[in-house]
Amino acid sequence: MNSAYIASIVNSTLRSTTPILLAALGSAVCSRVGVFNIALEAQMLIACFFSIAVNYTTGSVLLSVAAGIFSGALVGLIVAVLQVKYRAADMVIGTSLNLLVQGGTTFLLYLFFGLRGVLNDPKLVSLNKINLPVIRDIPFLGRALENLTILDYLCYVIAVLLFVYLFKTVSGFRTLSVGINKSAAESLGTKATRIQMRMVVLSGALCGLGGTALSMGQVTMFTENMTSGRGFIAMAAASLGMSHPLLTVLSSLFFGLCQGIGVALQNVIKSQLTMTLPYIATIVALVIFSRRGGGARAKKRTGGL
Amino acid sequence: MLLEMKHITKVYGSLYANDDVHLTLEKGEVLAVVGENGAGKSTLMKILYGLEQPTSGEIYLNGALQRFRSPHDAIAKKIGMVQQHFMLLNPCTVAENIVYGREPKKHGLFFDREAAVRITEELCGRYGLHIDPRRRVGDCPVGLQQRVEILKVLYQDADIIIFDEPSAVLTPQEVNELLRTMRKLAEMGKSIIIITHKLHEVMAVADRVMVMRLGKYIKEMPKEETSVEEMSYLMVGRRIVERKVAPQKTTGTVLDVQDLVLAGSDEKNILDHFHLHVDGGEIVGIAGVSGNGQSELIQCLTGLLSPTSGKILLNGKDVSGQSVGQIREAGCACIPEDRYLWGCAAQATLTETAIMAHQYRPEISSKGLLSGRNTRAFTQSLLEGYDVRNSGQGQKAGELSGGNIQKLIVAREIEQKSPLLIAAEPTRGVDIGAMEFIHNKLLEKRERGDAVLLISSELTEIMSLSDRIYVIYEGRTAGEFRKEEASEESLGILMMGGKLHEAI
Repeated sequence: MNSAYIASIVNSTLRSTTPILLAALGSAVCSRVGVFNIALEAQMLIACFFSIAVNYTTGSVLLSVAAGIFSGALVGLIVAVLQVKYRAADMVIGTSLNLLVQGGTTFLLYLFFGLRGVLNDPKLVSLNKINLPVIRDIPFLGRALENLTILDYLCYVIAVLLFVYLFKTVSGFRTLSVGINKSAAESLGTKATRIQMRMVVLSGALCGLGGTALSMGQVTMFTENMTSGRGFIAMAAASLGMSHPLLTVLSSLFFGLCQGIGVALQNVIKSQLTMTLPYIATIVALVIFSRRGGGARAKKRTGGL
Repeated sequence: MLLEMKHITKVYGSLYANDDVHLTLEKGEVLAVVGENGAGKSTLMKILYGLEQPTSGEIYLNGALQRFRSPHDAIAKKIGMVQQHFMLLNPCTVAENIVYGREPKKHGLFFDREAAVRITEELCGRYGLHIDPRRRVGDCPVGLQQRVEILKVLYQDADIIIFDEPSAVLTPQEVNELLRTMRKLAEMGKSIIIITHKLHEVMAVADRVMVMRLGKYIKEMPKEETSVEEMSYLMVGRRIVERKVAPQKTTGTVLDVQDLVLAGSDEKNILDHFHLHVDGGEIVGIAGVSGNGQSELIQCLTGLLSPTSGKILLNGKDVSGQSVGQIREAGCACIPEDRYLWGCAAQATLTETAIMAHQYRPEISSKGLLSGRNTRAFTQSLLEGYDVRNSGQGQKAGELSGGNIQKLIVAREIEQKSPLLIAAEPTRGVDIGAMEFIHNKLLEKRERGDAVLLISSELTEIMSLSDRIYVIYEGRTAGEFRKEEASEESLGILMMGGKLHEAI
């Protein structure tokens, strides 16, 4: 295995990480305020669709990204209203939204564009590919960072910003307190429900950005159900990263790596098999994690009774 | 007059939680609001603190009409509340908890945690309440957690401090400390309202007493002009008879626990060579601060947990590590400590709740089929014999009030007619009437010559019922007393891990 090969794996790892990381951060902020949001898949997929739809109609990259963020946030708002405000069951809401968006985007694709399954057109504009001036000439690094988009860098900045917000600011402290003990936060005058709703909408926006990174990053197209479970992988990444923004970066990179390796190996092994790698990794990671989590819970139970 | 609540009425559906209640409070005064569970004390305080809105009635502060839509409004008017169930962020530090809501900031945005520590230290010094600001709240014992709650209220600069059942979770020493703190705060000019049903605390700390019953204001009087007897009469509406438990001869040992060890997740054992024995015809109490292994002991005795080593002899037969069914078969019934977690299924009907663990008795079922007529008759006998107020056997267990479901569970377990009854927190959160009833049933069980093991965090309950008392501390048997040797002080010291000679 030569270094060029490794560099290309790094490159595809970074590209695969971006949507997962953004959605995982969305998942993390939700669980930090005690909301179990499983509509991540819906929040991402709707953004994939609308970013490409707006891209196709207007040709503007900026408007496309905005449409992605906005549509994701809109689904987040639905989750917030139903699940947080009216306390509907999280499983029901999440599952039905995921199914609804999956069917809905396919339907809208047909309705608006008369297309079945795929929207891929030469007039679609992709995000600018960045090749940093000096670095592109460094042999390994240049290849590893080749043709990344702004979002591939921005997601790490967002992770750091979220970390600073949650753990260093007063407002972040209040936000965290809602997840630690909602009634305590409320008893001290914090408007806990409002904070929860705000965070769910934020998660929608983050997932929306993640969906946009998916449909306008490596490829520029929309295909039916193109998120293919990335929302759930993101949930796994967030819980593996203990809903901490910086640890979530690490766990997302791990899942990104699995996808990267999967892509790299598809010429060696049957691609049907390599495509399953991220999902196998998810199951393995969740089993390991839930063992740990279960242990902690069991301990709490004997101690707390 | 600092505070005046006039004509407060709060209606939930058809229930009058508060019915035209009046309350007044002067500066620097300690007012005790007493009453049974369900008398409406907590509702009244929730209205004052803005957690509930009154159906009608007014609140005046210094003569000005107030409207508290949320605790936020009440806090702004310098009213603070030390909740019965602590409202703390356990993973956070003491300082973070105290400054919550008015955090010191750096650059207008960032949380200045160092300043929070300084503020806490300064606050502790001013009121003489000491605590380490950097300690994690979850690691603090209950007494200190309550101190954090008090400091929180003081940091909000409250002039009126409401204490909701503050001593429910404390050891006797911690209670004394708390009462001293309350007196000190009153001397510093704070006005205090304490909600309680523990009348000796009222006598120790209050200036004035207000009695409530069934949502109504009954009477108020200066402490000097009343007595524990008068207050309890006013609270219950009838005389409570002082219970005299006649000593009686015990028969042979029923339960003998020897050298019981339950290993924990770290090196420390949860149960550490614990031993006790209970004879027929006696009630044996286990006193201890909750979390010292009582729950695990009950679970080992009833078969929910398998002990690491040691023996549990029930009528001479070792039952340690056997299944729950086998142990029940061998003659052990149990009133579990948490009635909703272990004692009943909230969605089950009263009939189903009543026959749990009776289902294999021949009159209840034969060949795997339940007899409808007999189960109903059996359930009816329990409901009537134990005065369980219900709206029919089809009612769901979860719809009964706490005291009534507890009476049904007590009925079910006593009617097992087993040689051993484990009664864990049998009267937690039930009112005086139900408490008296349950106590009498336990004493009847004892008179029949059965063995009763009583585990309770209420020291008065242990002291009044038990023939012998063990103290459990960190899973060890820290002491054993005959009834006449035990005092609250000596038990309290052992419960805190002290040695007895320190007491004398």
